[in-house]
Amino acid sequence: MSATSVEKRATRVVAARKKRAGVVAITVVLGIAAIAWLSPLALLLITALRPLSDYIANGALTWPKQFTIGNFAQAWDVGNFAATYRNSFIITIVKVPLGVLFASLLAYAIAKLRLPGRNIVMFSVFLGLTVPIYIAILPNFVMLRQLGLTDSLAGLVGPYLAFGISFEVLVLQSFFRGIPDEIIEAARVDGASAARIFFQIVLPLSTPALVTVAILDGVATWNEFLMALIILNSNNNKTIPVGLLNFQGQFANNTTSLAAGILIAVVPILLAYTFLQRWIVGGLTAGATKG
Amino acid sequence: MSTTPALTRSQTVRRVKWRGGLVAWAFALPALVFYVWFLVAPAFQSLVFSFTDWDGLSPTYSLVGLKNYVLMLTDPIVHTAVRNNLVWTGVTITVPVIQGLLLAVLLNGHVYGKSLIRTIFYTPAVLPLVSVGSIWGWLYNPQYGAINEVLRAIGLGGLAQPWLGQDATALAAVIVPAIWLRTGFPMLLYLAALQGIPKELYEAATVDGANRWKQFWNITMPGLVQAHLIVVALSLIDSFKVFDLIYVMTYGGPGSTTQVIGTYMYANVFQYYRAGYGMALAVSITIVAIIVSIPYVRSQTRRDDR
Repeated sequence: MSATSVEKRATRVVAARKKRAGVVAITVVLGIAAIAWLSPLALLLITALRPLSDYIANGALTWPKQFTIGNFAQAWDVGNFAATYRNSFIITIVKVPLGVLFASLLAYAIAKLRLPGRNIVMFSVFLGLTVPIYIAILPNFVMLRQLGLTDSLAGLVGPYLAFGISFEVLVLQSFFRGIPDEIIEAARVDGASAARIFFQIVLPLSTPALVTVAILDGVATWNEFLMALIILNSNNNKTIPVGLLNFQGQFANNTTSLAAGILIAVVPILLAYTFLQRWIVGGLTAGATKG
Repeated sequence: MSTTPALTRSQTVRRVKWRGGLVAWAFALPALVFYVWFLVAPAFQSLVFSFTDWDGLSPTYSLVGLKNYVLMLTDPIVHTAVRNNLVWTGVTITVPVIQGLLLAVLLNGHVYGKSLIRTIFYTPAVLPLVSVGSIWGWLYNPQYGAINEVLRAIGLGGLAQPWLGQDATALAAVIVPAIWLRTGFPMLLYLAALQGIPKELYEAATVDGANRWKQFWNITMPGLVQAHLIVVALSLIDSFKVFDLIYVMTYGGPGSTTQVIGTYMYANVFQYYRAGYGMALAVSITIVAIIVSIPYVRSQTRRDDR
């Protein structure tokens, strides 16, 4: 081995080591930032697990001297979470499949069926993304009261469908557009009806997009606050966000139970996010990267 | 078919086309019915209400023309709300976008635990806004809140204050959680867009002796133009909708310090029984939101014509 090649190798080793040091440094910086980002939630969890007396005596930043799950039991009962969980669950289960079905029908008409007036329909539907929903709440409230649907989950279905359609159609039509026309044409030549082509060919091919849209719509439905606040009055009919607001008022001075209540309210969403994040991230970035 | 006269063929084509249009509309109808019934029609009804003196309860009301809109011009709370909406929009776009870009650029290189870090930064965005408000309301608690505790722990106890409860800090205090939850989204979009920039460009630039800083401005930023437009457009659209966080944390208070158009509209309709006036506020901000977002909506409509 000549002297120069040894030298070269030495510089390469030094460069590699330098590079690894850089990677470690960036990782450390990002790690600290990530911990800071997560600290409100971590603090919330620790607080929810300690007795109120311990929290008051030692402050929020200390490690608990004692652990308890009593806060969760108390929060669950007083916060009426059995009812609000059930309600949020029902509205999500009813609304999301309906919304995805209707939106995919419309998206397919836009993408593949040469809908007459297509551009106007698209423009009007996409405009719905930009409209603050509080423009629609009062007329909706008046209409639902006339129909006897206030203070009932059923009253939320119509508005929730309407609020979700713009986003669902935006994502789905762009996905449908990517399905080759030849597949649809071949089925049509074989005599398949439009409905049959849609349900037996297009929808199965679009499972990833449908799942993504369903998850994002599910998160939005679960989290919706304003419409539910206006429509739902009695405690047993409230959804999680409205129930949590109530609970927050009652427990202003019982910090540890308040923390437990907040956690109870967000756990389903956190679990869903953790397990389904591949779909969530894909759906959110799909629109931005094409173009 | 060869014996079919040309005229009949064009008639057949027209008929097939017409039937095709009918089928397409049958597909479109269910979604459009709900969309029009619960969003479009109510929006226009709100527009009508905005020209009346309706209180939101009585069976009758009378038209008052533009009175509500004229009243808005001299209402000091509207002035505060408009200013707060502008501050909110400015800050909750710039800070999260810059932070998101920075995170994306760092995460796009070699980093350990990339996907975990990405997951953490996006987590606040999936939480219900009511719970985000509750969490931060608790952190800001003057007596037991963690923020004041931290200040006391590091010897800055003098700075401990009722963050949400005083005019000087309330607006900033409600904006911080918004930054917390809105940094993840631009990060995700920028990360996706960065994947689209060819690695060879950076290699070539390195050979040419361009440093990281130069590479960022000459390769990364131009490569992200599309992403910038979408991030800013979506952030802008989102910022007009501000309601939940402020409703939960301050309800527009103390006084009207943190009032935004959304919360002031709500107070007018459901608390002061001035529905006509509230609707005028809602209509005004909706018109601004629509005008500002038309370029984005058109780009989405046109993009798919290709």
